[in-house]
Amino acid sequence: MANLSSLLLSTVSTGKPANFWLSEQASTVAESVDLTFFVITWICYFFFALIVALLVIFAVKYRRTSNDITVAGPTHNTVLELTWTIIPLILVVVIFTVGMKGYLNLRQAPEGSYEVSVTGQKWTWTFEHPKYGATQVGELTVPVGKPVRLLMTSNDVIHSVWIPDFRVKMDVIPGRYTSLWFEATKVGDYILNCTEYCGKDHSAMLAWVHVVPEEEFEPAMKKLASEYEDMSVGQLPAYAINRLYNRCQSCHTLDGSESTGPSFKGLWDRVQPGNVGFTSGEKLSDLLGEATVYEQPENYIRSSLLDPQKHIVKGYLGSMPSFQGQLKDKQITAIIEMFKHLRDVTDAEGNITVNTDGTPRQ
Amino acid sequence: MSNTDSSHHDDQIGHIVPIKFLVLICCILLFLTAVTVWVSRYDFTEINIAEMGIIMALLVATVKATFVGLYFMHLRWDRPFISFVFVGSILFVVLFIGLALTDTMEYQPEIIKGDTPKVTEAMDKLAH
Amino acid sequence: MTTLNLNNSSDNYLNHTKGIFSWLFTLDHKRIGIMYLVCVLLAFFLGGVFAMLIRFHLLTPEGTMMTQDQYNQAFTVHGAIMVFLVIIPAIPAALGNFVLPIMLGAKDVAFPKLNLFSWWLWIFGLVFFLIALASGGIDTGWTFYTPYSIDKASSMGGVIPALIGAFILGFSSIFTGMNFIVTIHRLRPKGMTWFKMPLFLWGTYATAIIQVLATPVVGITLLLLIVERSVGIGIFDPAMGGDPVLYQHFFWFYSHPAVYIMILPAMGIVSELIAVHSHRHIFGYKFIAYSSIAIAIFGFLVWGHHMFTAGQSQLMNIIFSLITFSVSIPSAVKVFNWLATMYKGSISWNASMLYGMSFIFIFGIGGLTGLYCATLATDVHLHESYFIVAHFHYTMMGSALIGFIGGLHHWWPKMTGKMYSVLWSRVGWAFVFVGFNMCFFSQFMMGSKGMPRRYAQYIEMPQYQIYHIWSTVGSVIMALGFVLTLLYLLHSIFGGKKAPANPWGGRSLEWQCSSPPPWDNFAEQPEVGDCYDYSVLEWNEEEQGYDWKKDAAHPGE
Repeated sequence: MANLSSLLLSTVSTGKPANFWLSEQASTVAESVDLTFFVITWICYFFFALIVALLVIFAVKYRRTSNDITVAGPTHNTVLELTWTIIPLILVVVIFTVGMKGYLNLRQAPEGSYEVSVTGQKWTWTFEHPKYGATQVGELTVPVGKPVRLLMTSNDVIHSVWIPDFRVKMDVIPGRYTSLWFEATKVGDYILNCTEYCGKDHSAMLAWVHVVPEEEFEPAMKKLASEYEDMSVGQLPAYAINRLYNRCQSCHTLDGSESTGPSFKGLWDRVQPGNVGFTSGEKLSDLLGEATVYEQPENYIRSSLLDPQKHIVKGYLGSMPSFQGQLKDKQITAIIEMFKHLRDVTDAEGNITVNTDGTPRQ
Repeated sequence: MSNTDSSHHDDQIGHIVPIKFLVLICCILLFLTAVTVWVSRYDFTEINIAEMGIIMALLVATVKATFVGLYFMHLRWDRPFISFVFVGSILFVVLFIGLALTDTMEYQPEIIKGDTPKVTEAMDKLAH
Repeated sequence: MTTLNLNNSSDNYLNHTKGIFSWLFTLDHKRIGIMYLVCVLLAFFLGGVFAMLIRFHLLTPEGTMMTQDQYNQAFTVHGAIMVFLVIIPAIPAALGNFVLPIMLGAKDVAFPKLNLFSWWLWIFGLVFFLIALASGGIDTGWTFYTPYSIDKASSMGGVIPALIGAFILGFSSIFTGMNFIVTIHRLRPKGMTWFKMPLFLWGTYATAIIQVLATPVVGITLLLLIVERSVGIGIFDPAMGGDPVLYQHFFWFYSHPAVYIMILPAMGIVSELIAVHSHRHIFGYKFIAYSSIAIAIFGFLVWGHHMFTAGQSQLMNIIFSLITFSVSIPSAVKVFNWLATMYKGSISWNASMLYGMSFIFIFGIGGLTGLYCATLATDVHLHESYFIVAHFHYTMMGSALIGFIGGLHHWWPKMTGKMYSVLWSRVGWAFVFVGFNMCFFSQFMMGSKGMPRRYAQYIEMPQYQIYHIWSTVGSVIMALGFVLTLLYLLHSIFGGKKAPANPWGGRSLEWQCSSPPPWDNFAEQPEVGDCYDYSVLEWNEEEQGYDWKKDAAHPGE
């Protein structure tokens, strides 16, 4: 059996680039999945060719030449019928077994896999590296050649993580943990799609998996973890617009255009004097000041992030989720600073004009 | 045509179950209901079987359902095929609930306990 | 049996009584079948419009025509219409209602009023779907997965009316199933034992069992969903301690058998098409009959294969995968039996047979690609990609719908009393066949490479554009084929040749009454024999149809 497997494997693209049916293999499990795929494919080719050949040959050879009816041909043949029942039965058992083995391999993460926490929330992916205390949004950096295990949950509806080049997929469910594992075999960037319909921006809910050489991984992680910790207040807007805005962009635009939530353009100009009306009929200006709900307008921003349902801006549905537990204090400060200095980090059309480190963007 | 014929031909149109008989069955069912209520209050810790209360309640319910099916639904006197259809449907229900619940039990360890924001919100509202 | 000199009969079910109310409140199964046919075809074209919107939108990675919200509505409405309003009722209610009683030599179904009620329920279901579109639209996907469908802030407002509509349509389906079961059990003529029935009836019977057994489950599921969304009881909503995956169990317990509701009658039709248009006794009658029942029963045991990546436990995944393969065997048996039926036959290349043969080709692909879906390791990769979309379109559309169209062509002369153009029917078939394969085969390829489904845009994945373009071109060709088909069929009603009682040389009982049938189907009880023995028929040049041979022994003699 092992010899047969290696024989089959040698006919299959192992770690090889894309072929007629499949994209390139970029993980260890991709090999066994593709092997299963091609076992089935060759069985399908054979039977389909057989069926079509018989169909066409019979249709042509026995094409009706006259309207007279002459009785010919058998009406049943038990041996034949049993044969074509039993042979497919054996074949499907083979296919099932191969598939089950591959599946068990897909589900069983190796001991000591590198753990990443994944949170799906309409419509972004957030990846946390607990080992380094680093967070990535919309992208995931992993080392090549090491098994990685994603422990996933959703904050709202069911999403699903699919990395086609790795051949792994698992739904991400609210109130529950699910997991998948992979070991990347090639350095590169691979797309990660959401594959469980989750609403408006389902098709935009993707991330990029950056597979980097092992020696680059740890330094990258350490850099990410402390990215904002050492920043001064003045550096925070550039950090926030690059690293944190991704989580807001599905509902809040930067150019003033309408979306699920209010645009960020000019937002601070309205919030600071309290020029915001709520669905409850109150105005922010009534709630600002000492001994009222919000001492400072910054507190209102903070409250909107942690308890968005408390006051909903008039004219909007109130579908903003809470970011409680997802943002450190300094990150919230960064967001507030970003609002205050939005004109410094974006242009009139809503494009981001600086990089995370403050250097201007081309 | 009050027919108290006890030969019980299956296709005999107009086989009428006597009222007294139906009342008797009803009394049995009421008695069994009382048993269920008693079972729910009885302390079963002396008998060392887990969930004894639920087992007893389900057993009694099955007996009651059988009575209802056999007598109120006339299955006792109908063609066996009718009973086959009825029992077959029950089997499908068992299949469905059984497999679905088995799956649910299997993934219980993955559920994040206590992650129920709407419940917490509702409880908070109640408390204030 | 005397040769029925039937072409002169001017009184038939179409003109027996006049006026719109004689149709809307008819108890005649034939008229009910025609009303269903018109409704289902209209719904098909409506669902098709949404399909074309989708295909045109996907020509470019950014999307050409719609916003994301509009696209999400488009695929939801396309799916809901096609599944609930078209494919599930199409063959049983439109063709089955018409043909089944006549095939049994009966005057009508067992419960004609229930039959009419079923049709009215379909209409009410449609009304609720339209209300759903008008009251905010639906964008949850036809599968209404929780928690998205429960969340009023996220999903659009038409969900509850749509669920009510689906609930009502479910009852339409259940009542049709009940009617057919009783009719087949009780109204078979003397001499027609179970194993003397035409195979179309076996297919319909197996379908009816599924309709009655499975549909109530989706009814309850939809009710629970309505309650969860409106009041919030916490059965599916995890924020209240509910289980969103449980919804999927509930939903797929019906929706998987539902696909067998779609395919089994089509397979029944194909048995008729292949046998009649090859003038060959069906090969392996008993195996085909048993396989229909086997598919119906096994179909209930496999619903978890829609949930391999949904968080279903490993144990259940393995069980469901194994049992799923069992359904492939009876289907394979049917395909081989049909091919064996063609062996040494006299194969007509008319439209009905072309569609019958197309079924074998397309279902071959649809069924074989099911192997990838049933296999755990591959399905993890393929689930929720365009591969799945292609697979179910090959089986539901390419097979079930093609079977429906084939049956429509086969029984069209019987239903309308007119013959359609042979040439145009072949042209129409060619467009449909070529267009269908072009449209959906490329979807297999992009799916296995990584294109997810239900995507309004694919900006970051422009490499799939060529497949999308190919698919859209195919859909246009296919649409042209359908329009062409509609045109020549309509034309035949007004300008077609008169149809003889038995244009194709069939032996089942519907070919022993006039085309169109009289009001009460048969004046005398027709004679039952072997419904696949064509040797007693001979061509009548004058009629352009088949008659009993003058010296042929009649059954019972």
